[in-house]
Amino acid sequence: MPTIRVPLAWLREYVDARGSADEIARGLHMSGTEVDRIERPGGGWEHVWVGRIASLEKHPNADKLQLATVDYGEGRRKTVVTGATNIVAGDVVPYAEVGAKLRDGHGDGWITLEPKKMRGIMSEGMVCSAKELALGEDHEGILILDRTLTVGRPLADALGDPVLVIELQPNRPDCMGIVGIARELAAVQRTALKEPRVAKLRQDLDHGLLEVRIEDEDGCHRFGAAYLDNVTIGPSPRWMQDRLVQAGMRPIHNAVDITNYVMLELGQPLHAYDAERLKGNTLVARRARAGESLKTLDGVERILAPDVLVIADAERSLGIAGILGGEDSEIRPGTTKIALECASFEPRGIDRTAAKLGLSQQSAASARFRLTLSADLVPQALARAAELLVEHAGARIVGAVDVYPAPRPKPNVRLQFSDIPRVLGVEIPREDSLDALSRLGFQYAESGDILVVTPPAIRTDISIPEDIVEEVARIVGYDRIPVRIPDGPLPLHERHPLEALREQVRDRLVGFGLQETVSYSLIDPAWLARLSADGSPIAPEPMRVQNPTSAAQSAARPTLRPSLLDTAARNLKHRAGVAIFEIAPIYLPRRDDLPDERWTICVLLAGRADHQTWLTQPRDWDRWDVKGILGGMAEAIGAGMFSGPFADAPGMHPGRSRTQLHNGVPALMMGQLDPRVAQRWDLPAETYIGEVDLASLLDVVRPRLAKIPPRFPAALRDLAFVVDEAVAYGDLLAELRAAAKDLLESIALLDVYRGPQVATGKKSFALRLVLRSLTATLTDAEVEKVTSRIEGRVLHKLGGTIRG
Amino acid sequence: MTDELAGLTEQAVREIADAKDAATLDAVRVRYVGRKDGVLTNRVKGLATLPSAERPAAGAALNRAKSEVEAALAERERALRDSSLEARLGGDALDLTLPGRPVRLGRLHPISRTIGEISRIFLGMGFESVEGPEIEWDYYNFEALNIPKGHPARDKFNTLWASNPLGDDPARAMLFRTHTSPMQIRIMEERKPPIRVIVPGRCYRFEATDATHESIFFQYEGLAIDEKLAMSDLKGVLYSFARQLFGGERKVRFRPDYFPFTEPSAEIAFDCFVCDGTGTKDAARCPTCWGSGWIEAAGCGMVHPEALRRVGYDPNRYQGFAFGGGVDRLAGLLTNTPDIRLFHANDLRYLESV
Repeated sequence: MPTIRVPLAWLREYVDARGSADEIARGLHMSGTEVDRIERPGGGWEHVWVGRIASLEKHPNADKLQLATVDYGEGRRKTVVTGATNIVAGDVVPYAEVGAKLRDGHGDGWITLEPKKMRGIMSEGMVCSAKELALGEDHEGILILDRTLTVGRPLADALGDPVLVIELQPNRPDCMGIVGIARELAAVQRTALKEPRVAKLRQDLDHGLLEVRIEDEDGCHRFGAAYLDNVTIGPSPRWMQDRLVQAGMRPIHNAVDITNYVMLELGQPLHAYDAERLKGNTLVARRARAGESLKTLDGVERILAPDVLVIADAERSLGIAGILGGEDSEIRPGTTKIALECASFEPRGIDRTAAKLGLSQQSAASARFRLTLSADLVPQALARAAELLVEHAGARIVGAVDVYPAPRPKPNVRLQFSDIPRVLGVEIPREDSLDALSRLGFQYAESGDILVVTPPAIRTDISIPEDIVEEVARIVGYDRIPVRIPDGPLPLHERHPLEALREQVRDRLVGFGLQETVSYSLIDPAWLARLSADGSPIAPEPMRVQNPTSAAQSAARPTLRPSLLDTAARNLKHRAGVAIFEIAPIYLPRRDDLPDERWTICVLLAGRADHQTWLTQPRDWDRWDVKGILGGMAEAIGAGMFSGPFADAPGMHPGRSRTQLHNGVPALMMGQLDPRVAQRWDLPAETYIGEVDLASLLDVVRPRLAKIPPRFPAALRDLAFVVDEAVAYGDLLAELRAAAKDLLESIALLDVYRGPQVATGKKSFALRLVLRSLTATLTDAEVEKVTSRIEGRVLHKLGGTIRG
Repeated sequence: MTDELAGLTEQAVREIADAKDAATLDAVRVRYVGRKDGVLTNRVKGLATLPSAERPAAGAALNRAKSEVEAALAERERALRDSSLEARLGGDALDLTLPGRPVRLGRLHPISRTIGEISRIFLGMGFESVEGPEIEWDYYNFEALNIPKGHPARDKFNTLWASNPLGDDPARAMLFRTHTSPMQIRIMEERKPPIRVIVPGRCYRFEATDATHESIFFQYEGLAIDEKLAMSDLKGVLYSFARQLFGGERKVRFRPDYFPFTEPSAEIAFDCFVCDGTGTKDAARCPTCWGSGWIEAAGCGMVHPEALRRVGYDPNRYQGFAFGGGVDRLAGLLTNTPDIRLFHANDLRYLESV
């Protein structure tokens, strides 16, 4: 956003502004002109004034103290007790009233002044030293000020001019000049605007001296020029140089300083040429010719693209229009004849060119031309600059020319008075609305409910009724808008199952004692090559950032895994264990479309799970924790099983992890990180990871069915099954379920045993079966029947036996 | 009841009260109401020998006496049991200052907790929470929001541009959304008024980071459209939001601002929680609000008629408001976190503290 610096004293030249810099800034800020900060020497000096010692007498009860009566304007007088000896009656001094915040003269802190009795006499405020005002370290005596300063002015205004640093909105090019800010302030404070008055230039320039042409009317709407001779190039006056510096520009010499000064004042950039260097006495706005090049003022030789608008003389381009001048036609110490250019350009073209040249921000001119400046500024700025050249460079105005082939019509905005309450929700009295508009220089005609408004020419941002409503609202104050709770029709909500599920999962995982993390979604692409032992990718090639802030944030992560590995590794440097999870989208590129943003859960466990206490033994996270946590989460949210086949999990321990697909998508991955990968991330070899695709999870969530507590008792049977090593527990489980049908209520695995009690190459699963019928108490015979059916099936299908 | 029976009962009750332990009490029980040879038991047995006319009265008196004795027995038994238990409990005392069995505490990240908080508050005002893509088309992020190419307002949004490894379409630029506002357009394209939605989500800017700025951050967007929503409704919704989030403590400020896709536009700010709105912290400029005393919480305004027209709404019939603000700043306010970079650093020492 464009930023301008507005020295307060300069601003006051155009408006009788009331109040301190802070009050002025507040008034501007609250009406929409954003004051970013106030720069001033010594920091804030609220409640500190220029005062005069009206009288001075001895303190009746103390030899070393004096009573000073201070006059600080508008009939205000206060008596203060002071120990200073360097003041006499009539001195002009800084006076701080009660409430002022000052540095402590005897220490480093800050104090807020309160009324204080000193040896029986009430001291109301203080006359200040330089140190108390934070102007220096001097606390030897009171700071004596220039006697010509106006008594009663805020000290901040009198001593060192404060500068308002204003961030402009791109729709307000009229505020790119200090006069524009003054116009706003005048409207806000209901006070007079004092625009610099300049005589119009006579449009009688001899074509032989200077011919002005617009060849590209799309790029250049208006081209004004003035011809001046008898110029003496030299330094500009001190006050002008000071103002330029305060506003952030470097003084060069009077001709350039004046064009800059007028640009700062009115917002309209100008350019001064040495008229004698213009070939063919011509200035023309045209497109660059094929192969044309130009050495610009920054010393760079630039090849001009053919869509670049240039200002040229009869033979060659002199500068890039609105952005940067050329060296050849520059004003030099010996220049005596000046051609002043002042033009209105098409802002988008300026923007494109400035962006291409990388000069969008650097050039004060292009920062202004990129906005839609009013073409009406052209003759005004030209006349103002010519006048200043006469005053400060001894110039003589020879003549001027104004080429304006298609004058812009003044737009009228038509609205109804009722639009104001319709948009704002509050009735603004008609006279208040009209008053606000006229304070801003808007003209209007009213007829019944109809209002036709003509904004001032400089206001290029006004075109629809809502614009007018906003103008009224910001001048009467947004405080006038009441606070109301909408009472309109309520839309019917839709449910968002994925979001709801995500919140449930989050709450469950937190409930299990895991810490949630949120990490950068843009990662270092080098991370992706560190996710498998051989560097092969575990996820699709990622979306890239074309213009990353750094390599560390240049790819949109296609997996959450590296983010969690990084978080774990950094935290394990100062703690023994981590249990973390993140729920975030991963970005999977799709051809000719936005990427698939798939919400994913990633859990990571590593290191110490339980610490040693007097009640607990230390324990590390192990491979069954991750399965327990994900299983518990699934059970808690009512998720069933994924339906798809299992697959290898790349980047993970091959024997201790796997992926399960669901509808062709990797839905669930869990297990132990490949220890070689763990090593690469400085993580313990035993690092466990779980990843769940949230959409797949949602697909297996089933509504809960109420379960009525059973009326009949259960029968417990503890059985030990001996099977071959190759038989997985899951296989046994499947056979048990198939054999016991719906009489099997639950199974608990009590023990897995390998050893002398069973044959080599075998293992034993000790199980507790809970059998129950919902319709009757099971008899011993029925239980016997089920167990023998189980025994038969396990023998038949798995070759397993029941251990006696 | 005869005096004799009354005396017997009284004596039994006295003996019961005098019993100092369970064995003595048991002996008393056997003596009076023992099944075999209890004094009262025997009398009941003797009822049969009485003339039939006396039997009912004598039986009733005996029953009353027996109940009285049995009640006294039960009462005394409970008292003896309690006092013996009490004596034992004294010896069972624990060191109550010993730590309890540890539980593992997980915590939500401040960002998701804040998003949850925001969504809940707006839900209460009839706003539904929806989400949208983080990687967006230029059209939704800019064009449809009245920010065509070359518009100076694009300066506000330093954009990270996206590149698709499967091929980029030069005519259709893809970017990392710079704000959640593209969802205003997507929602309006999909639905008809009345609309009230809140859109939390991640956003991206090409930006140098500091205590209050991140290049990856979170926003919440609000949109409400019906036939008569006005700026006062916008102000009401945001003031209510601020009050529900922070209580009545924080001051709220509403001032004009500019956004290409709202007209009129406004900014809502809260007074700074670090310096309490003074702009000064430890005698220097407050690093959180940059000395202004205010923290901008959301940009907002009435949805621009042009944006309504673009999605096919009749601006003469429908109007409404939109707002968008930073989640990170609110999370900072809610957790007293002075530097929002802590959110993404994921130092568990910090996360476990908030």
